[in-house]
Amino acid sequence: MKATVAELTQLPGVWRGGELDQVPRGVVSTGHAALDRELPGGGWPTGTLSEVLHDAVGIGEIGFLAGAIARATQGDPDRMVAWVNPPHLPYAPSLAHAGIPLARCLVLRPANKEDALWAAEQALRSGACGAVLLWLAHDEYAWLRRLQMAAQAGRSMAVLFRSTAAERLSTPAHLRVILEREGGVLKLRIPKRRGPPLTAPIALDIGGRTASRRISPHWAAQKTVHRAVA
Amino acid sequence: MLWIALELPSLPLQIAERAGASREPLVISEGTVQRPLVACPNEAARRAGIHEGQSVAAAKALAGDLRVLPRDENVERETIERLAAWAGQFTPMVSVDGQGIVLEIEASLKLFEGHAKLTGAIQRGVREIGLHAALGIAPTALAARLFARAEARGLQVRACVAPADLRQRLADLPLFLLDWPGKTLAHLADLGVLRLRDMLELPAEGIAKRFGPEIVASLDRLMGKLPDPREPYAPPPRFRSRIELPAEADGVEALLFPLRRLLAEFEGAMRARGSGVQRLELALDHGRRSRTRVMLDFSSPEREADFILAIAREKLGRLTLAAPTLALGLRAEALLAYVPREATWLPGARELALDRERLLERLAARLGKDRVFGIAIADDHRPENGVRYAFSQAAAKNAQLAQVQRKSVPDTIFAQRPTWLLHRPQRLIAQEGNPSYQGALELIAGPERIEAGWWDGDEVSRDYYVAANPRGETFWIYREHRGAQAWYMHGVFA
Repeated sequence: MKATVAELTQLPGVWRGGELDQVPRGVVSTGHAALDRELPGGGWPTGTLSEVLHDAVGIGEIGFLAGAIARATQGDPDRMVAWVNPPHLPYAPSLAHAGIPLARCLVLRPANKEDALWAAEQALRSGACGAVLLWLAHDEYAWLRRLQMAAQAGRSMAVLFRSTAAERLSTPAHLRVILEREGGVLKLRIPKRRGPPLTAPIALDIGGRTASRRISPHWAAQKTVHRAVA
Repeated sequence: MLWIALELPSLPLQIAERAGASREPLVISEGTVQRPLVACPNEAARRAGIHEGQSVAAAKALAGDLRVLPRDENVERETIERLAAWAGQFTPMVSVDGQGIVLEIEASLKLFEGHAKLTGAIQRGVREIGLHAALGIAPTALAARLFARAEARGLQVRACVAPADLRQRLADLPLFLLDWPGKTLAHLADLGVLRLRDMLELPAEGIAKRFGPEIVASLDRLMGKLPDPREPYAPPPRFRSRIELPAEADGVEALLFPLRRLLAEFEGAMRARGSGVQRLELALDHGRRSRTRVMLDFSSPEREADFILAIAREKLGRLTLAAPTLALGLRAEALLAYVPREATWLPGARELALDRERLLERLAARLGKDRVFGIAIADDHRPENGVRYAFSQAAAKNAQLAQVQRKSVPDTIFAQRPTWLLHRPQRLIAQEGNPSYQGALELIAGPERIEAGWWDGDEVSRDYYVAANPRGETFWIYREHRGAQAWYMHGVFA
């Protein structure tokens, strides 16, 4: 039986490397139209491992995903957000402001990297977590592959945050995003996705703070803006 | 009425080898201290030529590395009682009878879809506990025991369900299987009466005259002509079991197999009572009275062996044992009512809630309770206060604060809060009064004064700013309002 390439591309799950994969898979909107447009399926993938690479901290690396995280936990019934080994403590008021449901946030601080990997796998596989955010001091491909399988089994959105040094390393994740801050805006590159790599970075407006006015600490200290005395 | 009897052949040996057959020759001894006799030799000992009734001294001559364990009838009785407690999951009418148990199963047939499936389930279950039982099924308790004993001795018997078949099925069985006095049996053998067939043909008056009315009554009970009421076994309101390991176990992995057997026994006993436990104690005996205790705690009453084993595996995996383990004990004191979970085809809210609880328990078991937590907005202005809660506590707190906080605190305040809060404020280097962190920090928003805690001695008085460095990294920093007026970083706007 001969099948032409055109016929093959009609099969579900087959797409040409040059096009974005538009086969319906589990995705959630990030809330940023510019980003959703560039993601296969029109949103951040769930049920799979994805990677966010960044070196600088405090550039909106969580903020740009807040919408996707919040949506990944919605459903019937609601699922949890697991923060596995985060660099600092997730701060409740800010998460509430970003729309992430606090009552379903679970923070895990494992004592060592073996426990961290184990906890990540458990959280992903259990199906009880809609989103699992990971900070792991472990780069082994085999382990990432395991996490990828666990994310599929638990239909969980797994996001691994790594440094940009990992860009050279191959990954089992289906999506890889690199974040940089340039001139006050968050620039996003997509070196790996189900489709051609995105070469031109996209700028995201995440309600970031631009230094529109400079406050002198010497002057500011004179004035009390909000006095919180309970 | 339909009865199932379970007979445990060479029970003392079964108890000794419950955690696995030992490769070295092993015998159970009984009799006087001066001249102990071999009661049950194991497979290896049999191969060495050791047989029952031999003196232990002779057995030692045959196998130099022979291990001899004295028979302990208390342990045997406890094992049979635990088997009875376990069998309570199939029918409430379980009674202990010599070296076995009998179950009245007429009322359970419908639930278990017939006697064939029920006997299958019982046999599988007994194997999971680590015991080996011969099983007999008959319309009377005595006949069921007889069949079970016959099977234990390797005789061919067929299950007998209909009372009409009973006489014919019993006919070929030898008389010595009955619990009759040895003198009576010897007397009958002298008369040439060796099988039940011969016995049942003798006239009842003659038997009563020669051997006493008990023998006739026993025959009548066997044939179902006389009622044979049994007292059901009432298990104690706790669970205790113990298993000896075949060899010293160095690691934790070797404990999981015997633990599985203990948990299977536990699950059956809990099913029988409709109970579960929130706390299980696992004791690892190292000999010489040293013992490691491991507590397994659950948030709701549990009894499923698979789940508990998974929790125990994580708990045990974190243990470093000073000495090898010789025996394993399982104890539960407070038995609580167990709410069975619905098994549905499509997972719904309840199943997911269960997944969540089980996940939380597994995580807490391995990582430690203080490393698994939830977060909530605290009713305290000091950012570092009340940030961590137990997960369930956090959920309740958030629900309670959801209404209050949303109204009283303007949303703009939350917008001024960082995604990350540092575990402890980090002191910043200041140049000419200006803070810096990987470059000079530029203040973008602020100040916001937080002054609180003067009432409980943990006073803070700070001016908070949002600040960015030349790399575009945004932080939440503060300057102490009093004292050295030093700069600190307290959060990151990630």
